[in-house]
Amino acid sequence: MLQRQPFEYMVKYTQQKSWIDGRGNFIAFAFFLGGISGGLFMAAAYFNSILGMFIAVCISALMGFSYMMHLGQPTQFWRMLFKPKTSWISRGFIFIFLYAGFAIIAIILAQWFPSATTAIAVFKILGGVFAFAQSIYTGFAVSYVSAIKLWNSAILPILFVVCGFSGGLAILLGISMGGDQVAAIENITRITLIAFAVILIVYLWNTTYSSTVAKDAVARLLGGNIAAIFWIGVVVLGVVIPLTISIVTYFTDTSSTALIITAVVTEILGGLSLRYVILKGGIYIPLTSGE
Amino acid sequence: MARWGMVIDLHRCIGCYSCVVACRQEHFVPRGIYFNRVLVTEKGKFPTVEKIIIPAQCNHCKEAACVKVCPTGASTQREDGLVLVDEKKCVGCGYCVVACPYQQRTRFEDPKLEYFPGQGFTPYELLGKQLYAYRPGTALKCTFCVERIDAGIKKGLKPGVDRDATPACAIICPTQTRTFGDLDDPMSEISQMITYKKALPLHPEFDTEPSIYYLRM
Repeated sequence: MLQRQPFEYMVKYTQQKSWIDGRGNFIAFAFFLGGISGGLFMAAAYFNSILGMFIAVCISALMGFSYMMHLGQPTQFWRMLFKPKTSWISRGFIFIFLYAGFAIIAIILAQWFPSATTAIAVFKILGGVFAFAQSIYTGFAVSYVSAIKLWNSAILPILFVVCGFSGGLAILLGISMGGDQVAAIENITRITLIAFAVILIVYLWNTTYSSTVAKDAVARLLGGNIAAIFWIGVVVLGVVIPLTISIVTYFTDTSSTALIITAVVTEILGGLSLRYVILKGGIYIPLTSGE
Repeated sequence: MARWGMVIDLHRCIGCYSCVVACRQEHFVPRGIYFNRVLVTEKGKFPTVEKIIIPAQCNHCKEAACVKVCPTGASTQREDGLVLVDEKKCVGCGYCVVACPYQQRTRFEDPKLEYFPGQGFTPYELLGKQLYAYRPGTALKCTFCVERIDAGIKKGLKPGVDRDATPACAIICPTQTRTFGDLDDPMSEISQMITYKKALPLHPEFDTEPSIYYLRM
């Protein structure tokens, strides 16, 4: 049972609120944007889409803005560079700057110096490495919290990065419509969506083994007050609809614009829903067993 | 070097909330923020029910998760074990609030929140804003009354023995539930309590090595 009275705080199951309620919504949004930005850049770099890389950097900027909205003292943000030794937020901050820097150089070279193929490749790779780092660090930051068993899982960073990659592929698919790479992008998207679904199931199933609190958290996710967002947002919008569209286009060999746009939008909403339900579902181990 | 800690005897605690009030008075704690809580629960089923009252606050852990996750170095640990927040460096990311396994930190959101909404700030609250001008958006938590400890030591007083050098929650308790002292001194009262009366910290499996121990949990 979740906390009811103030004196039951941390005696009964207590939901974390700092990273989801009020201003905390911005951090859920920032985690989501970071994931798809990293995923989009990796996909765009692979498929040589300058527009895709540019949109990825723009999404990263939006992510930075969302982080600033979350911070209590945003003017002090520069101090977050100083503790990468132990803090995942500090490491992530550095990853974001490096990713943005290398990505912008790669875009400039690709757009205005297309003959510098080696340099473009180098900066794409560097940008891709830190895009991956940006995508995965939020999973590590969340999974570091040992008292919230729903989060304290080695699978969570992988889940976040795969979700981010599938969202990025969806955006790349949307901007590549009518191009000759659509089929290839669709193929990778299919595989990524299936991988995402499998990892999500494994993550939830495995989490129920870690403690009774974790089992309760998963039960809330699947049948409690956030079940609607999980089933509709994450499962239906994030997996079922885009995967169905992907399978239909595979077997019918057609690429309808309306279907692709539907798949893009639903995948993006699915990614956002995933971050939201994971953060909302975080419940602390009670200080003492009161039940 | 001393390492400050506390032992709380749960059989002595009567749930009077004096420690909560004393802490709020001592630090002019804003409304909605708690440095010190008294948690109440029941164990067992009727007719064999036991009421359990647990005073809880920042444990000033030796391996504090909040210090590790802080991206700016605002959360630090002194040599004497006190975990403190430098609000000038705190960026208000809330990672320490989330990472603390004992959930004893809060981010101070609204400086305009009055104790009596709609009636303006009381003289007490206005005085508090001068003496303890907490920075909005930063993390707040129990400090083990660091200013009392530091001032007391300068005057040659002994924390845990002399009232003026001991945390307010420990000296106000009418049943002497809380014992404050040096964990690194094997002859101190709290070290003796931990060793011979088997005082235990909350959730040692978190591996944070708390400095607050509980008797008869």
